[in-house]
Amino acid sequence: MGPDGPIEKILLYVDSSEECITAAQYGISLAKSLNAELAAVYVVDVEVLSDLVKAKIFVKIEEMDYEQNLEEDGRRYLNYISELGSKKGINIDTYLVKGIVNKEVIKKIEELNVDLLIMGELDPIQSRTDIFHNEAEITFRKSNCSVLVVKDEERTERIYNQINDEK
Amino acid sequence: MRLTQLLSEETIEVSLKQHKKESVIEELLVLAIKSGNINDRMKAFEDIMKREEMMSTGLEHGIAVPHAKTKAADDLTLSLGISKEGIDFDAADDKPSYLFFMLLAPEDAAGPNVKVLAEIARITKNKEFCRSLINASSPKEVLQLIDEAE
Repeated sequence: MGPDGPIEKILLYVDSSEECITAAQYGISLAKSLNAELAAVYVVDVEVLSDLVKAKIFVKIEEMDYEQNLEEDGRRYLNYISELGSKKGINIDTYLVKGIVNKEVIKKIEELNVDLLIMGELDPIQSRTDIFHNEAEITFRKSNCSVLVVKDEERTERIYNQINDEK
Repeated sequence: MRLTQLLSEETIEVSLKQHKKESVIEELLVLAIKSGNINDRMKAFEDIMKREEMMSTGLEHGIAVPHAKTKAADDLTLSLGISKEGIDFDAADDKPSYLFFMLLAPEDAAGPNVKVLAEIARITKNKEFCRSLINASSPKEVLQLIDEAE
């Protein structure tokens, strides 16, 4: 049976945080109950690396090294989330892209025709600069589809554990 | 990630005692050790120096950001030293360095590491803020200034 509800395609925002794992568990539970398709995107923030070279804090070789580290990090998170999906019979299409985080996520939302973006709990805003420099915060505000911010790690994990494992 | 979350009064020195590059790095390392996150002082020093050999982290306008990924750090560790007189740190503009942000990061913390370095680059663009930091008379005042800048 294919997707047939008001939410047909869900995208998970993955960013190497514990919170994004909770968001993935919620996304898997929701995709299962709505019979929706699920995808996950991780963006390697190459913009910030290039800014560090411009600021002369990084040398070119360091930029390349860190880019590789961030890529490996992203791949690790996406693989883990994919496994979480497989355990519950949910296939997750994963995307590892490079660029400015909020722009790449929005591009993916358009490209995949996403109905709902799911993110982990955002960090509390502790300063005015968070609003302008925190990529999760910017993505949340700029997203061109509805956004669900997942809270309550314990409850989410319970829901995830309760859903059955069959396809 | 906010710098004030990583710094404490113990990891800030408003009047560095050393005047030579290697000794300043040692002094910053002593501050970093106070965080309790450094498990191998020698290894941390070697990794910082290895990075300095690639190119000095003495930037322009009196800022220096010695940093390294190292197995010697159990967690992201930042220390901050201030020299009122300025120190020759092989800076890009050949001028003395006054503000020294030393960041030591575990090898598997590329994301947070990059974010902290970006935040240092961002706040030190403000010359008035840097002047205030150089003139600060206590670690408490430094924390307050950074908190306001963030």
